[in-house]
Amino acid sequence: MIATEGLTRRFGDLVAVENLDLVVAKGEVFGFLGPNGAGKTTTIRLLSALIAPDAGTGTVAGLELGRQNRAIRQRVGVLTETPGLYKRLSVGDGLLFFARLYSVPDPAREVERYLRLFDLWDRRRDLAGSLSKGMQQKVAIARALVHDPAVLFLDEPTASLDPEAAKVVRDLIETLRTKERTIFLCTHNLDEADRLCDRVALFKRRLIALGSPQELKEGRYGRRTVVHLAHPRPGLEEALRLPFVKKVERVDGKLLVSLADPERQNPVLVRRLVELGAEVQFVNELRYSLEDLYLDLLEGSDAAH
Amino acid sequence: MRRISVILFKEWKESLRNKMILFGAIFLPLLMVGAAVAMVYQGRTSGPPGAEVALFNTALMYFLILPVIIPLAIAVYSIVGEKEQGTLEPLLATPISDWELFVGKALVSVLPAVVLTWGSFGLFLGVSVALLGRIPPHALTAPWLAAVFGLTPLLSLFSVGVTMLVSSRATDARAAYEFSSLAVLPALVPLIIYSTRKTIVSLGLVAVEGVVLLVGSAVVLYFAIRMFRREQILTRWK
Repeated sequence: MIATEGLTRRFGDLVAVENLDLVVAKGEVFGFLGPNGAGKTTTIRLLSALIAPDAGTGTVAGLELGRQNRAIRQRVGVLTETPGLYKRLSVGDGLLFFARLYSVPDPAREVERYLRLFDLWDRRRDLAGSLSKGMQQKVAIARALVHDPAVLFLDEPTASLDPEAAKVVRDLIETLRTKERTIFLCTHNLDEADRLCDRVALFKRRLIALGSPQELKEGRYGRRTVVHLAHPRPGLEEALRLPFVKKVERVDGKLLVSLADPERQNPVLVRRLVELGAEVQFVNELRYSLEDLYLDLLEGSDAAH
Repeated sequence: MRRISVILFKEWKESLRNKMILFGAIFLPLLMVGAAVAMVYQGRTSGPPGAEVALFNTALMYFLILPVIIPLAIAVYSIVGEKEQGTLEPLLATPISDWELFVGKALVSVLPAVVLTWGSFGLFLGVSVALLGRIPPHALTAPWLAAVFGLTPLLSLFSVGVTMLVSSRATDARAAYEFSSLAVLPALVPLIIYSTRKTIVSLGLVAVEGVVLLVGSAVVLYFAIRMFRREQILTRWK
């Protein structure tokens, strides 16, 4: 649904996006993560045909960037970093304006559908400027969806929302995934990205890492089983040098065992520990967060440059 | 065309909720009509022979200033308002073309300016007839009518072109409004010429001014259109 090859954009001497190769599949929720100033917004602008690349090519929704820009803009929805609502227009009028610009067949019906979906129908006659930040964000999301786009670019969709409203947005993203809509999600909420995204890209002017959150974490840290023992005995580490065990460490009295395939190897590991007379209290998998990975990879990227 | 009309109606709806714009668009023409009528009425009651016609013609000049002043506030708000509210990017993300957006934004200000100027002119004539019982003979000549009806759209167009150019560079509405006021200058030139009585208002003079305005508008609009490109707007308008 989105494919780019060598996409590059400069602003004077500043390279905002460098040689970006990306493929995002139809129906995929794709997280685009990076620090402020990394070029995420520029990437969204490039992919939504708002600005032209200096080099490289790309297609969005099967349409070629640069040649079919207008058609691309018809097929994509963009939620910008700030809601950007017409504050002197009513909520309903503002949405109707965009529905008409997108040539939605029955604009009033679609506007009503999205206002009801976001629980804003009763506020349709209120001026957009009178709404709370969270409500404004919901209106902005409704605006990005009102023409039923094939690709949705969301720049920090839950940034100013209360937990309840943020959940509405996350649920909506899940719903859109089931409807085969492709979602390109820029967020600083890494927990959200971890939960929602099929794959994530870590980006800082250039692509640093790409894969599913699980793949990336496993690739970086491997899989580790934590064994809690009632009475940690010395020498257990050496006794656990089994062929499938990559590494054993003792941290705070617990054993950290690196394994390639914990689902198959954990039972053997536990059996061995029991044979060695260890009193096993709990066994669980050590889970790294996307935040750990994000910070590690960014640090590595900064050190490399 | 359909998207241009969508822009037009949205802008007008928004403008009607902005007191500054409403003041400029409604109160100013009424004020001008009032001042013009007062001047004409004064000419009836006092002064040497010919003063009545001279004052009537001076009053007509107000209707050459109106098409320049009326669109200022609307045009400034139409551009700077988008910047201030952060609404440009969502708007540019729609399939609207740069050209449609430019024409929409320009017409938003030009159309009301022309309609209100002509309307005010009609009101002025109506009130003058009601008060004086007639239009002074030889006061409302063909050149004056050509000036009011022919130059009004050109003056508005020039004013809007200047305003769009200035607003695209300005960071706040006040600065844009102040600099855009420079657009009044071309309207003042004929005003000065007529008031010094160096020449009489003739069809030739109106035609010359029309051509000058046409060329001036073309130059200003050329640069305004060059700046009104999606990429320029997004990356340079700050």
